[in-house]
Amino acid sequence: MRLLNQLLSMGSGTVITLVLLLLAIAGAAGFSGLHTTLARDATESAVLDDGKRIAQSERLGVQSCIACHGASGEGNRALGAPRIAGLSAGYIEKQLRDFARNPLHVGVTLDPIARDYSKTPRVQVDLTVYTPGVRRNDAMNAAAATLGNDEIHAVALYFSSLPYTVVALPSDPETLERGEDLALRGKPEYGVPACTSCHGSDGRGHGKEFPPLVGLPPEYIIRQLNNWQTGARDNDTMALMRNVSDQLTDGDKVNVAAYFANLSGTVKATGK
Amino acid sequence: MFSARFGSVAVIAIALTCRISMAAELGGELDTLEVRPTLVKPQLSLPTKLTEVYVANPGEFFVPPNVADIPDDKYGDLVRIGRNIFVDTQNYAKRYVGNGLTCQSCHLQEGRKPYAMPIWGAFGMYPMFRNKTRSVVTYEQRVQDCFRYSLNGIPPSIDSPEMQAMVAYSHWLSRGAPVGVELPGRALAGLARTEDPSPQRGETVYTTRCAICHGAQGLGQKTADGTRYLFPPLWGSDSFNKGAGIFRVRTAAQYIKANMPLGQGFTLSDQEAFDVAAYMWIQDRPKDPRVSYILDFLLPRIGAP
Repeated sequence: MRLLNQLLSMGSGTVITLVLLLLAIAGAAGFSGLHTTLARDATESAVLDDGKRIAQSERLGVQSCIACHGASGEGNRALGAPRIAGLSAGYIEKQLRDFARNPLHVGVTLDPIARDYSKTPRVQVDLTVYTPGVRRNDAMNAAAATLGNDEIHAVALYFSSLPYTVVALPSDPETLERGEDLALRGKPEYGVPACTSCHGSDGRGHGKEFPPLVGLPPEYIIRQLNNWQTGARDNDTMALMRNVSDQLTDGDKVNVAAYFANLSGTVKATGK
Repeated sequence: MFSARFGSVAVIAIALTCRISMAAELGGELDTLEVRPTLVKPQLSLPTKLTEVYVANPGEFFVPPNVADIPDDKYGDLVRIGRNIFVDTQNYAKRYVGNGLTCQSCHLQEGRKPYAMPIWGAFGMYPMFRNKTRSVVTYEQRVQDCFRYSLNGIPPSIDSPEMQAMVAYSHWLSRGAPVGVELPGRALAGLARTEDPSPQRGETVYTTRCAICHGAQGLGQKTADGTRYLFPPLWGSDSFNKGAGIFRVRTAAQYIKANMPLGQGFTLSDQEAFDVAAYMWIQDRPKDPRVSYILDFLLPRIGAP
């Protein structure tokens, strides 16, 4: 009440000034919001440009990304390089970080008190001990080690922003039938879930944890399943994929890789 | 090659020996606090396989027929429709479903997975007495209860084409299975007695083992196009209602123990399974349709913003 009285007792000029002041504040707030949006767009495009530059440049004696993975990330089947266009940015980033670690740096892993039992080192038949939580691939280990965290982020964003058209590879009907059975139904009596239950129907992938399976060279899928089994690839969350791979026979791997290579479709540029 | 691979082990062993001998030279006597007992022994043997992996014995379970072997006749057509309903209930039995689940959200892998209430283990046991209804029910009546409670919808009538197709699919999936025999892998796994389940401990289990697929809020995850659930919701308006069998903590714990996390059945302890089932039990979900009809109009819809 007292405030109202004060306002009424003030001259009209003061009131107008107050209103103008309020308007100015509101306008400034609106402008700064717009400004932030513009700035964010500018930053994103700058990061994408940065990623593109990194993807195309050779560095420290290591080949550029596009030398093996193709100019638009479509992969190179002859070299065994998978397509990386249209993958989730989070997935690419995690893989590069895991590649960047030394897979044979076992000194730290021989902690007698293993805190995380899902990541204890596994001794293979040939007595090679891999560091838990890494991927072993000589070319990618060397390449990822030259990248910093920001560069990994930029290059992951760049490749995830690229579109990709899947080309279906033909295969014989029997292989496809067995592959479909494994992809859609898994192996119930062995406790192996269906591939599509996590990787999405049609193997399109889901989020940063479950990468797409379509549009990958069948040799790459088979090699990865082998790597899960030997421990050369050990960077799955909760050892989900390791447990699945341990139950697969060589025939299963061939069948399911042929099935997913046989699917076709277009992968839109998803960004994040 | 051989020496190189053993190199790191040898170095650690030497280092340990040096440390002990140095301590002996300096002090003359070992400080017991300085050498922890865990540090002495593990260096002698490398850890081999510390992760316990449940080894399934595939030979003990019934193996249902292959989908590619569905016959090409009227029976086969009905079976195919039934399989479509089972896999994609949201499309093929849309008018009967009231939430976001499908048959194979629980009956995993098209009703084939042992210890996940497989259809081949159930079909031959009906008609059977159920405590829930205090009567002998047929297979069709049992399927109706699935729709009423687990799918939170309207039960299809016994002569509806959907019901006939689902019965045909169950019949085909159980071909070769003995009738009236409790097969191994039937229904759910048994659990030992544990402490009282604790939702607090269950929340920890949930965030570490379950949230990656079912989401931090337990509301599942939809596919990118948003049309259906890739990972089914565990509670909330799109989940089963409070009349469902799996709403019981023991049933849910038995299901979780044998099947969850997906592909890692029997890795949770019985206690963890009970705890996370209790954590699921305290969440909000559709009400039991048997309880009351008056309150339906008074209470807000569950999950409504």
